[in-house]
Amino acid sequence: MLTLRRAEDRGHSNLGWLDSYHTFSFGGYSDPKHMGFRALRVLNDDRVAPGKGFGAHGHRDMEILSYVLEGKLAHKDSMGEQHVLGPNEVQAMSAGSGVIHSEFNGSATEATHFLQVWIVPSTPDVEPSYQQFAYDPSEKRGALRLMAGPDRKTTPPSAFIHQDARIYASVLGSGESITHRMAPGRHAWVQCAAGQLNVNGVSLKDGDGLAVSDEAELSLRGEGTKGGELLLFDLA
Amino acid sequence: MADVNVLVVFYSRYGKAEQLALAAGLGAIQTKSNIRLRRVADLADSATIAADPAWKQNLDRMTMDYVVPRAADPAWADVIILATPEDSSAELQRYVGSLPSIGGMDGKIAAPLAPGNNESALKPIYAAAACAGLIVAPAQAPSPDGVASARAYGRRVSLMARALKELQDRPV
Repeated sequence: MLTLRRAEDRGHSNLGWLDSYHTFSFGGYSDPKHMGFRALRVLNDDRVAPGKGFGAHGHRDMEILSYVLEGKLAHKDSMGEQHVLGPNEVQAMSAGSGVIHSEFNGSATEATHFLQVWIVPSTPDVEPSYQQFAYDPSEKRGALRLMAGPDRKTTPPSAFIHQDARIYASVLGSGESITHRMAPGRHAWVQCAAGQLNVNGVSLKDGDGLAVSDEAELSLRGEGTKGGELLLFDLA
Repeated sequence: MADVNVLVVFYSRYGKAEQLALAAGLGAIQTKSNIRLRRVADLADSATIAADPAWKQNLDRMTMDYVVPRAADPAWADVIILATPEDSSAELQRYVGSLPSIGGMDGKIAAPLAPGNNESALKPIYAAAACAGLIVAPAQAPSPDGVASARAYGRRVSLMARALKELQDRPV
């Protein structure tokens, strides 16, 4: 079963410094029909103005991942971590028993465009932790590059999360296609992060998402003149 | 389990009171409370602040990380944690003094904090909070690790608020 969540049907908030689209209910956008999909609770498509950002705030019991599409995202937290994240890097924070952090556009001149993902952990109250790693962009070209999953110390590196979920990124040129086998009982969410894609016959444009259940395989193809970029969530 | 909202309001110049505020906020999160972090504005003028590079540098950073308290914040809160530096409590005292004009403070908990439990810094905050109609939580017992102590304090006062809310919901 394939269920399309169109970009234009998402929640939207514009605070001036932050222009955000919410695939699922978040903050002031609340729709009981869109509270998440399986363990995927939040998928925000955020554009942050130069030098602006999210001031100090708290989280607990959530696996929080940031995937930068353009620009820089500066992060600082109560664990003493202070980093700048860019494209082709992944940041994963396990809020666990509690963290306070802030996130800012790390550039004074350029906007930051990033996707923020919240996954509900399978275990509450874990020790808070922070991970960040870089990869070569060629690793996601025409392939599913694992960003995060339930296995520690993978080769190549990926972030460990406290949930039976695997998150992959991929960039597909126009006409380029790959497949992903779905284990029995697994579900998937495919988010088109840029460009155009086709997933099992359904066309996705930038910001569209597709919920997938009871399918044996995902057939992912780049469409349009430039193809597209995606995040694939393989979920229990 | 009753939902508890904890407002952490602090004044800081060089980061010590801020550190206590963050630790107390983290303690509150650890008890599954919702938190908001706010820094009250300086009373000093900009020339005074500019003449002190360390103050100015911290202020620039804190202005990014925190907004000033809004009128809706204390109304939202069940607990107001108040962290003041040991050498200047006038800023926070003025904030606490403004709370009665917002109204609805009865039964909320105020939880004052200062580095080293500095008595002369805490006393005016205690007095202002009590006069504003808040239930004032006792200070933490002195401890060599101020940050760990502030975290424990944040946990304790948010648990106190939860217990109070749950009691209020019960028939007498």
